[in-house]
Amino acid sequence: MELEEKLGLKQLRTIEEINKKIERGDVVVLTAEEMKELIKTKGVKTAAKEVDVVTTGTFGAMCSSGAFLNFGHSDPPIKMERITINGVEAYHGGAAVDCYIGATKMDPNRPFEYGGGHVIEDLVSGKEVEVEAIGYGTDCYPRKYIKTEVTIHDLNQAILCNPRNCYQRYNAATNSRNEVIYTYMGKLLPNYGNISYAGAGCLNPLMNDPDYETIGIGTRIFLGGGIGYVIGEGTQHDPKNGFGTLMVKGDLKQMSPEFLKGASFTKYGTTLYVGIGIPIPILNEGLAKKTGITDEEIETNLLDYGVPKRERPILKRVKYSELKSGKIELNGKEIPAASLSSLKKAREITYILKEWIEKGKFFLTMPVERLPRDTIFKPMKMTREATLAKHIMEEAVTCKIYENIKDVAKKIVEKEVNHIVIVDEENKIVGLITSFDITKAVAENAKTLSEIMVKQVITASPDESIYSCARKLEKHKISALPVIDKNGKVLGMVTSEKISALIGKGEKIEGGIKI
Amino acid sequence: MKKLKAELKFNNKRVAEPIISTIVLKEQATINILKARVDETGGKVLVEIPDDKAENVIKAFRDSGVEVKLEILAEITENCIHCGHCVTLCPVEAIIYDKKSLSVKMIGEKCIQCGRCVDACPTKAIKIWR
Repeated sequence: MELEEKLGLKQLRTIEEINKKIERGDVVVLTAEEMKELIKTKGVKTAAKEVDVVTTGTFGAMCSSGAFLNFGHSDPPIKMERITINGVEAYHGGAAVDCYIGATKMDPNRPFEYGGGHVIEDLVSGKEVEVEAIGYGTDCYPRKYIKTEVTIHDLNQAILCNPRNCYQRYNAATNSRNEVIYTYMGKLLPNYGNISYAGAGCLNPLMNDPDYETIGIGTRIFLGGGIGYVIGEGTQHDPKNGFGTLMVKGDLKQMSPEFLKGASFTKYGTTLYVGIGIPIPILNEGLAKKTGITDEEIETNLLDYGVPKRERPILKRVKYSELKSGKIELNGKEIPAASLSSLKKAREITYILKEWIEKGKFFLTMPVERLPRDTIFKPMKMTREATLAKHIMEEAVTCKIYENIKDVAKKIVEKEVNHIVIVDEENKIVGLITSFDITKAVAENAKTLSEIMVKQVITASPDESIYSCARKLEKHKISALPVIDKNGKVLGMVTSEKISALIGKGEKIEGGIKI
Repeated sequence: MKKLKAELKFNNKRVAEPIISTIVLKEQATINILKARVDETGGKVLVEIPDDKAENVIKAFRDSGVEVKLEILAEITENCIHCGHCVTLCPVEAIIYDKKSLSVKMIGEKCIQCGRCVDACPTKAIKIWR
């Protein structure tokens, strides 16, 4: 008993007792922020004795979100094979008129603008959506086509069911490239111009119960402005690294557009902002202590999203308190940092949930089963390795900056290339000359290479995949990339001809959707 | 000299009248026209007014039935979720994040209308007057 008390495991109250207090109206609920303040001023012991429940919250872009919808049957009935809602394809692999609309699926007529997340927001807002579906036509379901307009009230069920929400914490992102990149972490300015991060830090539900003592299957939660439930661990749940996730569900009909917001990340895609709030019952002193966690104590990795690989380089370990300060120091420079999640909404959720509990509208549940604490998040098993720049690069034809234009022109002809890389004495890249630049030199009567060369050369690293190379070529409308090492030394050249030849041999690079 | 930016709104019936020229002459103010647009709903003109003349000029426009809106170079609409992403993109600190209320605020008159923030906003809540 003494040891139990020492470890803070001695039970102070049960869920049943808390629920009785809620019924009576004398339950003591604090938001996560209020609890941290109380612990700071009065200490954990007092806080644990006084407080029954701590409310936590988060509001962020949660791509793994979507809703199951059931339309009811038309007359004559149809077994929907393919279905779109406001132009966004919904997945149909179940019974005749069931479907799942996912947040990131986009309307092909307005990609990156309108997607499943917006459909969900429109439904929750009570707006009419256009449903269009086709079927094969069967003896029992003779209809082959249907188009109709419905609102959420016309549906039998609209159930938000999100396979991965509520990340315990997330990586922070910046960009080393000398160009703007558009990512799911937002718009990242060139040369480490800004930092974006996600998650609510010390307000985050899982951060306040990091050992998942009270959050598990069956935990009743605030979801999208309504009531929902945790139905298990989320996909990519990674508890050992402090990156736990939740799978949640709730009745979409009870939710509100205030806490379910369709969003689009330019040139990345659409998603859904989801508001989640979870009450943490203070069953023992240990739990009270855990809810005292501050942003100072939560660290995450600042990653370079400029590197288009699975393992993005970790530039620095950063605390949420530093991120929330709005400035992070990196390489001696102060870089502006901002959240992609809404801390304002997260805070709002903690207050709403507090009010629900105080007013007896929300009762707590004990999980039927706890979330796993030992699973790991594995990378994809790849049976075919991606081809890298170093595998397909050819010898780079180089010259020095002082060489005269005519000699360089000769090199182009002799070596039958279109690009000459200009290097210094250490073979480091200085610029690039194309056959067109030579033509221009003749037309404009240029005298030296430095007048006509490309100075801001787009390059590739030897370990860069050909997918990434192809994307650079396409994005910048160029036909070759010098391959350079970390020090700028030229190793070779990747050309669009070579990549096209690979496609000809059956290597699938594009395979994607042309916009 | 410091200049004040203002948006002038002319209704449909007045778009053909030389209201701006009249006021420029009358108030002896070097009003700079930054942008102008006329469509079905009337005319919208973005002007810069020298600070020392601003009070009289604005009054003159209002007296002539022109709607004058100040600090309207850019606006954040209700769709904003206050994430703050735009704050790091703004080169002139026209958008600030208030750490106390955890809210994003736009200081319209500071905006230079570069548009960096517009496409980055997840809920497309930023409108720039163009």
